[in-house]
Amino acid sequence: MRAAKAAMVALAVAFAVIQLIPVARSNPPEAGDPAAPVAIVRILKRACYDCHSNQTQWPWYSFVAPVSWLVSRHVTEARQRLNFSEWEAYTSDPETASHKLAGIADQVSGEKMAPWYYRAVHPQARLSHAERQQLIRWARATSAALRSSD
Amino acid sequence: MPRKPTVVNAFVLALGTSTALSLAVPSFADDGAMPQLRFEHGNFAPAQLTVPANKPFKVKVTNGSDAAIEFESFELHRERVVPPGETITVHMPSLAPGNYQFFDDFHHEVPKGLIVSQ
Repeated sequence: MRAAKAAMVALAVAFAVIQLIPVARSNPPEAGDPAAPVAIVRILKRACYDCHSNQTQWPWYSFVAPVSWLVSRHVTEARQRLNFSEWEAYTSDPETASHKLAGIADQVSGEKMAPWYYRAVHPQARLSHAERQQLIRWARATSAALRSSD
Repeated sequence: MPRKPTVVNAFVLALGTSTALSLAVPSFADDGAMPQLRFEHGNFAPAQLTVPANKPFKVKVTNGSDAAIEFESFELHRERVVPPGETITVHMPSLAPGNYQFFDDFHHEVPKGLIVSQ
């Protein structure tokens, strides 16, 4: 009984201590979003921007370690792969922007984005069939247009 | 009896040193030459490219291997697939002085390369 109590206290202390470890949770300045139709921008902002932009709405659990570490890492990696807030940087190499758009179409059509575990706790990231098709059509058409313009 | 260094000797020494350094790390100044990278035998060559800072430029990337590679850089916001045996041209923005990593996203065991802007 005493050992269990000691373990509980140790856990509580450890939990309190890990809250002091700093976690990167910044929203850097924007550098240019994609020029897309309003309906597409609305879908992207609702379902994708929390991880793939510098407009992350950090949820309450992103302030509680150790979950905060996972969230921070996830957002950092997601922004590295695709950051809508830095879209202009991609477009200075049209083939890169085209490749990113083709990737968006693939991920959305394969229902890999948003990930299932994210959709489970963020209903706003769930896309209807119509929204999914709308996003895929836009991504594919814009990707093709950029490829032919290079 | 050792000879005293002369102005000519110093000039030859400086010229030799700068030539050796410029051969060791490819550098692309204002001569219009396009930097080139070649992927072969599991490596990018050269592993380091030096480019002038604050000036947009282009890089040619050739895939000399028999598998597709993905030339990628998070810092440079670039991601391009290069099919085997093909050469692509990547447009780069003007870069602030610094180091920018690139890698093959299809083969993470491949050593990362570096673009040095100065």
